[in-house]
Amino acid sequence: MTTPVQGHHIVRAFSEELEQLTASVATMGGLAESLVSDALDAIAARDSDLALDVIQRDKRLDTLQRDIERQIIRLLALRQPLASDLRVCIAALKIAADLERIGDLAKNIARRTRELNEAEPLALSKSIERMGRLVQGHLHEVLDAYASGEIGGALGVWQRDDDVDEHYNTLFRELLVCMAEDPHIVGPGAHLLFIAKNLERVGDHATNIAEVVHYAVTGTELLADRPKGGSSGTP
Amino acid sequence: MTNGQNKDRVRLAPDRPRRRDIVITAALGMAVLFVLMVTGVLAPGAYIGASLAFASLAFVYFLTAVTTAQPRGRMPVAEPARPSEDGLALTMLEKVSVPILLIGPGGRIEQANPAARALLALGAEGGLLSTSLRQPRVLEAVSAALRGERGTVVEYATLAPIESHVRAYVEPIRLPVAGPMPWRAMLVLADETSSKRAERMRADFLANASHELRTPLASLSGFIDTLRGPARDDEEARDRFLGIMREQTERMRRLIDDLLSLSRVEMNEHQLPVGTVDLRAVTRDVIDSLGPMAQARNITVSATLPETPVEITGDRDQVHEVVENLIENAIKYSPEGGQVEISADDDCARDRAEHPADRIGENSARLLLAGPPFDPRSRFGVVRVRDHGAGIDRRYLPRLSERFFRVDGQKSSPTAGTGLGLAIVKHIVTRHRGGFSVESEPGGGTRFTVFLPKPAARAETATETGAAASPAPVSPGQA
Repeated sequence: MTTPVQGHHIVRAFSEELEQLTASVATMGGLAESLVSDALDAIAARDSDLALDVIQRDKRLDTLQRDIERQIIRLLALRQPLASDLRVCIAALKIAADLERIGDLAKNIARRTRELNEAEPLALSKSIERMGRLVQGHLHEVLDAYASGEIGGALGVWQRDDDVDEHYNTLFRELLVCMAEDPHIVGPGAHLLFIAKNLERVGDHATNIAEVVHYAVTGTELLADRPKGGSSGTP
Repeated sequence: MTNGQNKDRVRLAPDRPRRRDIVITAALGMAVLFVLMVTGVLAPGAYIGASLAFASLAFVYFLTAVTTAQPRGRMPVAEPARPSEDGLALTMLEKVSVPILLIGPGGRIEQANPAARALLALGAEGGLLSTSLRQPRVLEAVSAALRGERGTVVEYATLAPIESHVRAYVEPIRLPVAGPMPWRAMLVLADETSSKRAERMRADFLANASHELRTPLASLSGFIDTLRGPARDDEEARDRFLGIMREQTERMRRLIDDLLSLSRVEMNEHQLPVGTVDLRAVTRDVIDSLGPMAQARNITVSATLPETPVEITGDRDQVHEVVENLIENAIKYSPEGGQVEISADDDCARDRAEHPADRIGENSARLLLAGPPFDPRSRFGVVRVRDHGAGIDRRYLPRLSERFFRVDGQKSSPTAGTGLGLAIVKHIVTRHRGGFSVESEPGGGTRFTVFLPKPAARAETATETGAAASPAPVSPGQA
């Protein structure tokens, strides 16, 4: 997104502010990404300290979001951006909101991890990790697309969200079967279910960001229906 | 001529050539004046005056050359070297394969060597670091260094799309410039992926190997005990047991082979393969070599291959292993007398490479097990292997490339594999920056697709800079 705004304004400060805005959003994206990644590490390594760290770092994400919103309001009020500049501002606003939600979801995953660690290890946390890495990859790709302004990556993620759903459905069924077989694991199993759901939500937010990036770069919306995985009756 | 002069300059005293040039110029001037006088343009008086002036000028310079040449004999070596010292350092920096960046106030990238530009995909310089490197800890360390605080070392890992571990060294540098912000931050990014990977692999290998080898070992020791005890004199039982023991050791051998091959593949997974492979020829080879195995179970293997070779970038042995694993699996999981269909395709865009237009069944499930980052320009060579076996339930698809994962009920089958075949395929494909997808319908069979990038895309980016030098871009496959 740096390309369309660089060096095209008569007021140089305006260009710099737009560039700074993109950089702030990218920083926030990096933080959200690291929260998701650390939350997954915490699950894999059963590391309660790391989980606590994730919970605490989420606050920083909230501060960043407020900062970005303030920056955007200032930009809108002082510069009255038009066309692609306006789209960049609106995109930043939307993406910041999505990233903030992703941070909350990562925090929730970390909370549940701390409780999971009090129970016996479950074999299924491997599947959770695999799904998480996929989601993390999607998030990474859309943020790359946002920073570079190349929509190829964003489109790729947008079209591949059903892979995440497929993983989620698989996990859901497996967990149900396991919980039905062994009532002792219903407690931790429920936590895993919610973790999987949270990861699926993170994937949805990544898809949202992909749509916004597409809009900011091309000015057109992605209207076609997203390809959906087979229906499975899971919530 | 310039060559000779340069040589002189190095060999002779520093000032002499310059002054000699002046003498030569003076002589030339006198010659021109002489010609002018002969042709009658110039009066002889003016000629003599002018040439005397030239001659005395030349003489004065000649004298200074003689007096100053001797004491400054050492200068010539130092002089040409000094201006290039900075340039030399820059050239060295350009050639260093470790990414190095200089970050200025406000987190702006002031300098970046080509390795850094490639790693962070920087276009024009002068962007903000936080846009290209989204690692909160590195950014914090950089802004600390920009405030003049002590340098730190930060480790970070990116797991997607390709796993990499990087150790970032951040060092503050104080520039001798006036102004409120003399601090710069130097950022060196050292790739530690291979050592991290080796470390983790050792642990994984031990865990996997010990776990999977326990079963055959237990049965072996059980049979040995039986042979030494109750069945000591039972001729018939001994034969049967030895047969089973042979089978078990065979299984252990296969397992160890696969594990070794897997760790070899994993070891250099983040190194791009060089060289080109003809996917069509490899597929043919594999079909030929697996012919006996298919015939033994009365399975027909039919292949639809394109008429021209399918060139892809890859390591021949590894590509062979991928195709072999897929076709072997297809034969293994086909019913007796079944059919295995193999097709290859050239120059496919990502979407078409991933899944063909037609589905194998109405309710078939499709899943991408591994895929490169999406790039609309990349083209792929594709191999698809389709069997008409039992098919795989939708819920097992994501786990297919997991190590030692076997779909329920396969464990007991006599032809049971090691559960590592598809894991190996996935790792090889990831190394090649290719992709690997599956489509399956319970009862309808399974179709595996492997797509590997064609060299053309990379040749194209390479010739962007050298397009003028080579008029017709020759694909490396033809060379």
